[in-house]
Amino acid sequence: MGIPVSQMLAVARYVTKQRILGRERYPLVLMLEPLFRCNLSCTGCGKIQYPAALLKKHLSAEECLAASDECGAPVVSIAGGEPLLHPQITDVVAGLIERDRYVYLCTNALLLEQKLDEFTPDKHLSFSVHMDGPRAEHNLSVCRDGVYDTAVAAIRAAVARGFRVTTNTTLFEGANPERMRRFFDDMMALGVEGMMISPGYSYSKAPDQEHFLRRERSHRLFSQMLESPHKEWRFNQSPLFLQFLMGKRDFECTPWGNPTYNLFGWQRPCYLLQDGYAKTFRELMEETDWSQYGRASKNPRCQDCMVHCGFEPSAVDATFRSARAMGSTVASMVTGQL
Amino acid sequence: MTEVHDARIAELVDLAFDYRGYVTVSRRDGSKLVGFIYDRSPAHLEMFDETATQRIRIAVSDIAHIELTGEDSAAKAQRIWERRKGALEPSETSAWGDWQERPVLFVVALPQELHGVAAALGVRARGSAVGGRIHGATAVAVAVGVGGGAAHVIAAEQPRLVVSCGFSGALDPALATGDWVLASSVHDETGETIAAPELVLRAARRALGAGPHFGRLAEGEILCATGIAATPAEKRKLARPGRLAVDLESGAVARAADRAGIPWLALRVILDPIDLALPAFTRRPAGSYIVPALRHALGGPRAITELVGLARRARIATRALADAIGRFAPVLGGVHPEQAA
Repeated sequence: MGIPVSQMLAVARYVTKQRILGRERYPLVLMLEPLFRCNLSCTGCGKIQYPAALLKKHLSAEECLAASDECGAPVVSIAGGEPLLHPQITDVVAGLIERDRYVYLCTNALLLEQKLDEFTPDKHLSFSVHMDGPRAEHNLSVCRDGVYDTAVAAIRAAVARGFRVTTNTTLFEGANPERMRRFFDDMMALGVEGMMISPGYSYSKAPDQEHFLRRERSHRLFSQMLESPHKEWRFNQSPLFLQFLMGKRDFECTPWGNPTYNLFGWQRPCYLLQDGYAKTFRELMEETDWSQYGRASKNPRCQDCMVHCGFEPSAVDATFRSARAMGSTVASMVTGQL
Repeated sequence: MTEVHDARIAELVDLAFDYRGYVTVSRRDGSKLVGFIYDRSPAHLEMFDETATQRIRIAVSDIAHIELTGEDSAAKAQRIWERRKGALEPSETSAWGDWQERPVLFVVALPQELHGVAAALGVRARGSAVGGRIHGATAVAVAVGVGGGAAHVIAAEQPRLVVSCGFSGALDPALATGDWVLASSVHDETGETIAAPELVLRAARRALGAGPHFGRLAEGEILCATGIAATPAEKRKLARPGRLAVDLESGAVARAADRAGIPWLALRVILDPIDLALPAFTRRPAGSYIVPALRHALGGPRAITELVGLARRARIATRALADAIGRFAPVLGGVHPEQAA
């Protein structure tokens, strides 16, 4: 596990409090999308296909911070679009840190190196760099030559300056487990704090509709990739979630676990599906018909989904629900085995 | 309304909601709205207008028809991907993609006018240019002097929006010091008329028209003259129905922006009403009027009274200008070069 102790304690305190208060549904990570515009057009991304006027629009820093206040989740993942294109991104990050939030700024790193001066290293801030695999696979995934090398250079620069850096990797059909294992070695050798991995969601608006992983194929791929993990590997994720990806555990989705806020409001029901928007976080939590989502609902759009935003909260919740799951999590953290 | 009609509208609403492009909603009263639908319920749909500056809520019962009139962004992305499948963009492609931040450029003539813009940007005006941020947008304001200089500033800054702003003389008797004039078009003495880009004009109209302010907002033609109309007689001679104000800069700004394909806006504040004569020294274009004003003051008590009155009007106009820019600022993020047409 690569997550700092202070962050683990903050999340543990928060989850314990929610459980003591008897809250059935609570958010764990706010997915904040301050803008939709991006400087890449990735094959598997269904997030940025909007008319130009909407792409040029962004949430103000005040709107971003108000969303975090409203939601209350201890962790904020700033996604998009490319957040470093946001003109007030430093204000957004500073405001979130001031609120004691742990911030994951998701970036493709094209602008990271030139923007590093605008940020200050802080235990609350981690740059989560999009890396979809080794050089050839990553460049193909983002449809541009040279992006892997730019991102590697930016990671090195950020690590050298004392920033927390993680990687986030989305996997698609055709990923080679052996090459991915070498990729994990390479990322850890760069000095990143940890890695995040997830199968891609089959966005209906994404350009490439042919390479999304089905559930069984995901289990096979993740088992092959993560079996006998190298001791250097650190994942910034719950071990139970990784075991879920490998097919060793089963969870139901927790769609409210990572609520999403963007230009349109609070997205129903989750980060991946757009069935409408609520004006307030409370409205999202109280007026969404959650029974319509997750595998048990038979909703066809949920059947193959194994994405972290729905299942990582389930894994965290499971950790706190039984001594056995907690024991398994601790054992995995100590031994590095999954 | 029949059940068949209800079912057809419900189907259209679902279709439009799933569409990643602009739609045209025809209402039962005959009006039409163009925008992007982002939410819907059995009773309402919610959309952004096409400048993405205004949220609109429409009752489903008011809808007569919906057409998918804009380009489908998702289908376009899929087409592009299909076409270039496997071929990568070159590594030299800008790290900013298509989103290099381009500033909003405020073009004024005089340092006094620059103070008004600087106040709105929250900075102090020093020299002939200031820069800052306003509502998250980068902004640059340049005092180009009386009569021109706009073209080279536009070429240098490559802005995403040009705002010609500053003081002007009223040609409409209803306008008083501090009133705002939004140009629907600019006419110059060569006879050329340049119409303001409609989408930008609409956004400005809405922003400036919201809430109370001490002056009035008027919209119409601005005349860009080649010399200062200082006397009531000169101003009346230039007046026409629908022509509201006269200045010396808006024509050059509008022409330069129009030719560069950059959206523009002319927003003037009335300094001198039509019946007010300006002191004679204002006829001679100057970078600063301090020395000519001091010389004018030597003319005796009447000249001093005239100057004091003009200074008071300039203060009112400066405040009105800062207020106008402050009100327009929230919509600046939604303005982009495609709106030049």
